[in-house]
Amino acid sequence: MNNHTTIPGQPLIEAWQLTKRYEDGVLALDHVSFSVEPGRLLAILGGNGAGKTTTINLFLNFLEPTEGEARINGIVTHKDPLAAKKQVAYVSENVMLYLNFTAVQNLDYFARLGGRTDYRRDDYRDVLLRVGLPEEAHNKKLKSFSKGMRQKCGIAIAILKDAPAILLDEPTSGLDPKAGREFIQLLDSLRNEGKAILMSTHDIFRAKEAADTIAIMDNGRMLMQKEASELKGEDLESLYMRYMAGHAAQPAAAAESAR
Amino acid sequence: MIGVIIEKEIRDLIGSTKFAVTFAAAALLIVGAFYVGATRHKLNVEQDEASRVENLRQMEGLTDWLRVESNRIFLPPQPLAALVSGVSNDVGRTVSVVGRGELTAYGSRYSEDPIYAAFRFLDLEFIFQIVLSLFAILLGFDAVSGEKELGTLRLTLAHAVPRSTYILGKIAGACIALSVSVLLAVAIGCLLLPVMGVALTGTEWARLGLVVLTGMLYFGVFLTMSVFVSSMTHRTSSSFLVLLVVWVMSVMVIPRATVLLAGRAVAVPTAEEVAAQKASYRIQLWKETRAQMLDFKPNGTAPDPAQEFTQFMDSLTDVRESRIAEHSGRLNEERYNRQLEQQKLAFALARLSPSASLALAASTLAGTSLSLADHFKNEAAAYQQEYAAFMKEKTGVVPGAGMVMIRVGDEEPQPIDPAELPEFTYDPLPLDKTVEAAAVDIGLLAFFNLLFFAGAFTAFLRYDVR
Repeated sequence: MNNHTTIPGQPLIEAWQLTKRYEDGVLALDHVSFSVEPGRLLAILGGNGAGKTTTINLFLNFLEPTEGEARINGIVTHKDPLAAKKQVAYVSENVMLYLNFTAVQNLDYFARLGGRTDYRRDDYRDVLLRVGLPEEAHNKKLKSFSKGMRQKCGIAIAILKDAPAILLDEPTSGLDPKAGREFIQLLDSLRNEGKAILMSTHDIFRAKEAADTIAIMDNGRMLMQKEASELKGEDLESLYMRYMAGHAAQPAAAAESAR
Repeated sequence: MIGVIIEKEIRDLIGSTKFAVTFAAAALLIVGAFYVGATRHKLNVEQDEASRVENLRQMEGLTDWLRVESNRIFLPPQPLAALVSGVSNDVGRTVSVVGRGELTAYGSRYSEDPIYAAFRFLDLEFIFQIVLSLFAILLGFDAVSGEKELGTLRLTLAHAVPRSTYILGKIAGACIALSVSVLLAVAIGCLLLPVMGVALTGTEWARLGLVVLTGMLYFGVFLTMSVFVSSMTHRTSSSFLVLLVVWVMSVMVIPRATVLLAGRAVAVPTAEEVAAQKASYRIQLWKETRAQMLDFKPNGTAPDPAQEFTQFMDSLTDVRESRIAEHSGRLNEERYNRQLEQQKLAFALARLSPSASLALAASTLAGTSLSLADHFKNEAAAYQQEYAAFMKEKTGVVPGAGMVMIRVGDEEPQPIDPAELPEFTYDPLPLDKTVEAAAVDIGLLAFFNLLFFAGAFTAFLRYDVR
């Protein structure tokens, strides 16, 4: 099913000195670098205005970087955005699809938009069941769906795209605990398929549960990047609060090392 | 890929409640306009027939053609005028033709039934001008900003979709979905015409087709304008507000304001002023005629002095009427030229509004534009000559000009046959002439379409998706 070529060892998602300064002078992202290899998940934690969504916007070429590069499977997104977008799937915080369409119709539209005309109804049913959407909802119009159900459709669309890289912008926001748990399991399975996943989130607990690497951002700067294994036994919430308050001993050094 | 986007756009639009409600209203009004138009036309034909019969009936029993004071001719009802009224209800439909003299049309539909003048008729032109433009705005104002608000634009453009392809697909999809829906309603309306007994000639069908085409171009202007404004704004409320202001300016304000402006810029003498000048000249010439009449002395050029007097008076009348006609013609021409200048200025300014272009093109194609009154007058003038020749043949003189002729003799009076009167036939302006006259406005509507399409296209290429 997957037609994308990945080079072993090469990161699928990579930010290199990524910087974005807006026309009004606001520095939204300040020389941020990170990478996500196949089969790994990087969770970026941060408050509002930290620069998480700006980072994702740069990967989707909704913005052009002032300095540095965002790369998807080695393709610089602002130089060849269409080629880069073929390699990446995206799920937003509030998945909004076409409300007059059923779940299957939405999946069909976005699959065909992504160039996949080979899917059949069974494929849509399978993927919707995989993301936890009951069969009786498959042919219902989206206007009757809850936020969680729409989120599941959004993930199904990302799965159908079958891209090697996945960008998730606050994907667990507003999900109930059960749906949140199912979502994490789904991420596990995607990671096991070799997908590289970048997830921006406020949700410290889900981040700790799902991520291989955890990063903390604030004011457009990467304050910390650590392997999840290094944070075992550590109270991530306290650590996060300390970074946010600027009280941790590590932040300055961490920020430097992130550069 | 563009096919996928077009298909989605059509399905999304047609599946929406907004579409169902607005289309149902627009379709009902379009079909209603055809129904009302057909009913009105049939009524007009009956009234026209009754007026003709009444005109001839009034001549029944007369025993001398000299006693026929005038012959009334009528502007026959045109089926397209019932669909695109234009000024057809404002112009006089009746002309009392005497052998000579100036012709005046009177008895407009609105003067006979003033109640209709209060709110005007619900015709196809009104539906296109008001309803379709609103229909286009209501379905296009959120084309881009709505997708941004909803969040679907981010998801769509996160796929490898070139922006140019996407906006092209969106505009094409919206145009196809909405045009087909409108054309479907128009087709049902067209079918109603023969069903209701209104037979259109081939030329009239061609004219109607061109009116519909003009209407679709106008609809396209508001649709592309809506997508353009939607591509310039980030909130649906903003794009709707902007479009509402543009709509009010375009449909309500500009056409009316330009007429007022032109009225101020170019002064035209009123009809009363011109009539007063004509009357004064006529009185002056009458005085001269009277003086010449008093000096009349028979000199034996005719066997009978009465006949000689008649010939003398006839020649005086010919000279006087020719001078009056020349004077009136000059005054009329001066007024007409000023009016034309005013009209040209008003129309040139009004064409800033697509609504004015639609009104001008549609009424021109339907034969109900401002030129209708002139054309009817010209046709009536041509008939006047035919009528004058007929009367001359029947009575030996051309009646009119205020002279009352009485035949003196002992012949047995015989009733005249009014059916002998030459028949008045009205030929609308030929199709090629009307198309030529409407070409500027049709071209302008096409230009507006291209302009807004290009605007929407370039605005979307730079649209901030965040």
